[in-house]
Amino acid sequence: MALLELKNVNAGYGEFRVLFDVSAKVERGQIVAIVGPNGAGKTTTLRTIMGMTTLYSGDIVFNGRSITRMPTHKRVELGLSMVPEGRRVFRTLTVYENLVAGAITKRAWEKLEDTLEMVYNIFPKLKERRNQIAGTLSGGEAQMLAIARALMSRPDVLLLDEPSLGLAPKIVIQIFDVVKKLRDEAEKTILLVEQHVKHSLEIADYAYVLEQGRIVLEGEAQKLMKDERLKKAYLIF
Amino acid sequence: MISVEPMLLVQNIVNGVFMGLIYSLVALGLALIFGVMDIINFAHGDFVMIGAYLTFLLATTLLVDPTLTAFITMPLFFVIGVAVYKGIIERVLGAEPLIQIAVTVGLLMVLRNLALMIFKAEPRGVPFTVFGFPINVGPITIAASRLVAGIVSLVALFLVHMLLTRTKWGIAMRATADDREVAELMGINVKKVYAVTFGLGISLTALAAALIMTFSRADPYLGLLYGLLSWVIVAMGGLGGVIGVLASGLIIGVIEAIGISVVSAGARELFIYLTFFLILWFRPRGLFGRR
Repeated sequence: MALLELKNVNAGYGEFRVLFDVSAKVERGQIVAIVGPNGAGKTTTLRTIMGMTTLYSGDIVFNGRSITRMPTHKRVELGLSMVPEGRRVFRTLTVYENLVAGAITKRAWEKLEDTLEMVYNIFPKLKERRNQIAGTLSGGEAQMLAIARALMSRPDVLLLDEPSLGLAPKIVIQIFDVVKKLRDEAEKTILLVEQHVKHSLEIADYAYVLEQGRIVLEGEAQKLMKDERLKKAYLIF
Repeated sequence: MISVEPMLLVQNIVNGVFMGLIYSLVALGLALIFGVMDIINFAHGDFVMIGAYLTFLLATTLLVDPTLTAFITMPLFFVIGVAVYKGIIERVLGAEPLIQIAVTVGLLMVLRNLALMIFKAEPRGVPFTVFGFPINVGPITIAASRLVAGIVSLVALFLVHMLLTRTKWGIAMRATADDREVAELMGINVKKVYAVTFGLGISLTALAAALIMTFSRADPYLGLLYGLLSWVIVAMGGLGGVIGVLASGLIIGVIEAIGISVVSAGARELFIYLTFFLILWFRPRGLFGRR
């Protein structure tokens, strides 16, 4: 059974429908990528999983349990966590306080010290800068902090929304490296939304292609990389 | 030329410092609610006024010192704050600012007219307090009640500062103030944070009211004075946290004292608002403005 599953999801914002009949599965221990052009509904898919959109019909099942009617904070408590697009660290808080804010749920709070150590191991730079105001971090550091902050809730599934957006090419490679490590070493399950289609498919196990709110293509990432339609559509290879 | 007795000026300034600390305490609740929730609570000063009348009623009924009534009024005001949040404020979250203003101005009207209905326009003072004696330091005389009120205010400001910087709740409040949506994504129950923030902000007015009643009287228009002063302090402090509120409160207290000494008691507000305009002229985002 998939760890996270979307079943015929129709969702949007108020009257404005964005997702049409989206079904997708995320298996435990995998990186699943959602790729597609701007405005396809990638971010909306992640926001719908977190309960921040209007769900018209369909079901979202996490760990065998329907979470469709739960408020966002309950979903975090159950083990979902999202890194929002554009990083959005708490700019007026220190690096350390950002991490503490990420561990506010009951499930995470008791293990705060352990998680902090784990996160500092993955991102040693954050330990150096723990007393710095987050608003003064560079783009790459802020992205590291945003990922670390999401890890502080000890999620089973990490949702990453455009983690490479607006970052220098060298930093982009570092970020993808971290995402891969999170699966391989920290045994996290990851749902990745990205515009860097090639990088994403290289590290992903499975991928969905979203266009105009509909899933138009899906399959194992390695196979999708060879798909002629995808190559043409994104001119990536 | 206006001539001022130097010792009198010093004495008034010392008094102004203590008044400034109390103003800071009143403004702190408003600053918390505005900072975390982005709600302009126009009824803030009138909670001080209701608190003052309640202090009068409790102190004269139970025959205890007005300061002690805070142990009852603070928890009570916390509950009232949460109830007002749940009943009124939560419904207008995310609504247009005009609607939010209308709602809190409506609340102000209800509180003020409630006081007018029950107490008419009569001021009421508590005729006793253990702090009703003067303290002489050299040529300066300070009322013990103001000294105590100032010190208790400072302690309360310090405790709120510790709450905001050292505790789980404080960090959740500041994260919510910073980015409400992301706070939700982190698993913070934002509506609970709002309820607690509103409750805390209102309960601080009860403490301030209990302290004020050791040297002043309750009257239905007390809310006007403290409401406006709080707004000036929050606008000047510019979201600079507890430190910003404290600094602005002290400036207002001292400026007011100088105004009283140099011109007349009637000129105090003139001085306060002149300072306010000047500061915002040169620093439009307030003394500690960030955004």
